[in-house]
Amino acid sequence: MTTPSSNTLVKLTGVRKSYFSGKVETPVLHGIDFTMQPGDFVAIMGQSGSGKSTLMNILGCLDTPTSGEHQLDGHTVNKLSRAELAGLRNRTLGFVFQSFNLLKRMSVLDNVALPLLYANVPRAKARERARAQLAKVGLTDYANRQPNQLSGGQQQRVAIARALVADPPLILADEPTGNLDTRTSTDIMNALTELNRDRGQSIILVTHEPDIAAYAKRLVRLKDGLVLYDGPVREGLAQLQRDTQDNAAQETAQGAPA
Amino acid sequence: MKFTQIWAESFRAMLANPMRTMLTMLGIIIGIASVVLMLAVGDGIKAFINKQLAVLGSNLVLVQADSRKAVGARLKTGTVQTMTLDDAAAINRLPSVSGAAPMLTTFSQISFGNDNTNNQVQGTTPVAFRIRNLRLAKGIALSDEDVATAARVAVLGKKVAEQLFYKADPINQRIRIDNQSFQVIGVLDNEGQSFDAGDIGEVVMVPISTARVTLVRTPTPRSVQYIIAQSKTTEGLNEMVADISDLIRDRHRIRADDQDDFRVVNFGEFAKSGEAIATGLSIALGFVGAISLVVGGIGIMNIMLVSVTERTREIGIRMAIGARPADVLWQFLIEAVSICLVSGIIGITLSAALAAAITSTGKFDLTIGVKAVMIATIFSCAIGVFFGFYPARRASKLQPVECLRHE
Ligand SMILES: Nc1ncnc2c1ncn2[C@@H]1O[C@H](COP(=O)(O)OP(=O)(O)OP(=O)(O)O)[C@@H](O)[C@H]1O
Ligand SMILES: [Mg+2]
Repeated sequence: MTTPSSNTLVKLTGVRKSYFSGKVETPVLHGIDFTMQPGDFVAIMGQSGSGKSTLMNILGCLDTPTSGEHQLDGHTVNKLSRAELAGLRNRTLGFVFQSFNLLKRMSVLDNVALPLLYANVPRAKARERARAQLAKVGLTDYANRQPNQLSGGQQQRVAIARALVADPPLILADEPTGNLDTRTSTDIMNALTELNRDRGQSIILVTHEPDIAAYAKRLVRLKDGLVLYDGPVREGLAQLQRDTQDNAAQETAQGAPA
Repeated sequence: MKFTQIWAESFRAMLANPMRTMLTMLGIIIGIASVVLMLAVGDGIKAFINKQLAVLGSNLVLVQADSRKAVGARLKTGTVQTMTLDDAAAINRLPSVSGAAPMLTTFSQISFGNDNTNNQVQGTTPVAFRIRNLRLAKGIALSDEDVATAARVAVLGKKVAEQLFYKADPINQRIRIDNQSFQVIGVLDNEGQSFDAGDIGEVVMVPISTARVTLVRTPTPRSVQYIIAQSKTTEGLNEMVADISDLIRDRHRIRADDQDDFRVVNFGEFAKSGEAIATGLSIALGFVGAISLVVGGIGIMNIMLVSVTERTREIGIRMAIGARPADVLWQFLIEAVSICLVSGIIGITLSAALAAAITSTGKFDLTIGVKAVMIATIFSCAIGVFFGFYPARRASKLQPVECLRHE
C-alpha cells in the first residue's frame, strides 16, 4: 500500500493543509486523496478560495502539507531536505504561473536556460537547448529580448518553454491563461494539449473557465478543501453546468418574493 | 549551479541597478582608498623620518666622558679622564668602525662686516664630513692638512652663510669668530636637525686644532669633548658599541668591577624610536581608514538586505525552478563580494592617482605599497563576506511559496 506502483507519478494521501496566523488555525485542505499516472492531463476547478492554489503549491513541492503523505515520481516528498526538494523540482517539475514569473533583467533565452544551469548543464549547452525550446514555441526571434518587451501571450510561451526545457515529467500550471485574452488563451491551451497528445506530457492545470478545462482529459473539482468530483472531464463539466444552473435557479427562487 | 554562472548572475544583478550599485560601492571605494592612502601616508612619514635621520649620517654613536660615574681611586688622584684625540684615533682603528671624529664645540659670535650672529662652532676633522654625510654646496671641506697646520679656515652651515652674506659668494671671504680671523673655504648643503648641534645649517666647522688654540679651552692639550663614530653596518652597530666600550675601558685602565667613566650614546636607538613613532602613526591612520571601511560595509549590508527583500519574488522563482538554498546563498554572497572587490580595485586606483598627484607637488612622497594594496584587497573581500553573509543567509532561508506570494 505505501509504495506507489512504479507507474504512479503523483500520489496524495489524506493531505491536509492549515494556515496559521499566530495560534489561529485556518484549515484550507481537509484531506485530499489524489493519484495521477504519467500522460494524464488534469484540470482542477473550484470556487475562489476553495484551495486550488494551496493544493498546487503542495503538488509543486513549494509548500508542505500539515499532514498526509505526498509521493512524487517515486520520492516521498515529506522526507526530503530543502536542497533535495530543489533538485526534485528541478528534475521533475515545470511551472507555468498565472503571472508568468519570468526574471526581469535577463534575456528571454537566459530565462529559458536557467533550469538547466541549476541542473549543472554547461552554459553553452544550456543556451543551445533553450534556443531549441524557444523555437518550438515559435519565439526564436525574441531570444535576446528582455521579458518585459514581450506581450503577455509571448511571455507565457516563454514560461512554457522554460517549464519544458529540462524535460520534466510533470507540468504544473496555475491559471496559465488567467491574464490572457481568449485568442491567446486558445493558443496556449493548444500548445499544452499538443504536448500532452504528442509527447504524453503529464499536466496539471488550474482554471476557473470550463472552456479551458475542456482541453484536459480529467477534471478535479474542489469545494471547501475537499474533492467534489474526480473523473473524466466531459462528465465533470456537465455536472458543473448543472450545479451552476441549480444555484442560479435557487437564487432566483430566493430573490423572487422580494 | 556552477560557480562561474553564479558570478555571471551576480554581475548581472549589479549592472541591473547601476545607480544603486554605484552608491553602495562609493562607501567601500572611499573606505578602501582611505585605508590605502593612510597606509601610504604612514609609510611616507616613516620614509621622511628615515630621510631626516640619514641626512645626519646613519649608524652613529657619540662617546663622551661621564664624570658622574667616575668613582673610586681615579677620583682620588684628581684626574678626571676626558676623551682624547688618541681615544678617537684608537676608535678609528677598530675594525667595526668606519670612521671616528673627535669634537670640540663652543658657542661663538660670528661676524662679517657689520653683520654678526651667534652660532655653534664645531672643531673637528675631515672624517666628520664623511660619517655625518655632509655635502658641500660650495667650496671645499676641511682637510687633514688644515687640521695638521691649525689653519684658520671655516666651513659655514647654509643658514649662517645666508645670514652673513645674503646672495654674495662667501668663499675666500674673511669672517671673524670670537674676533679671530677665519677664511671661508666651503658652505654646507645639508639641512635638518643634527643630534649634537641643533640645525646643521646653523653650524660653523673649523679644524679641531684651530678650535683648540683659538676658541675652546681644554683641560689637557689632547682632550676632546666627545667623539662621534660610525659603524660599518647597521647590524654591526651594537657590536661596535661593545668594541668601543672595551677599548676605552682598556685605555682608561678601568678595573673590571668599576663602572665606565664614559658613555656611548647610540643614535641608532633614536632612529628606532623614530621608526616606532612612524609605525604607531601608520597603525592609527590605518585604523581611521578601517572605520570608514566598516561604515561602507554596513552600507553594503543595508543594500543587500533591501535587495533581498526587493528580489524575494525572484528568489522564489529561482527556487521553484531548482535553485538550492546554497545556490541562493552563494548568489547573494558573491554579489556582495563582487561589489566589494570592484570597489576595492576602484579604491586602489583612486588612491594611487591621489598619491601620484600629491607626490607630484614635491612636498611629500606618497607611494602605494604592494602591502597596502594586498591589505586593501583582502579587507574588501572580507567586508563583502562579513556583511554579505547575513542577507545572503536570510535569502536562502526563505520558503519558496512565501517568496512567490511576495509582490
Ligand atoms: N498564506 C496564507 N495564509 C493564510 N491563509 C491563506 C494563505 N494562502 C491562502 N490562504 C487561504 O486559503 C484559502 C485557499 O486559498 P487558495 O489560494 O488555495 O485558493 P484558490 O482556490 O487558489 O483561489 P483562487 O481561485 O482565488 O486563486 C483561502 O481562504 C485563503 O484565504
Ligand atoms: Mg489560486
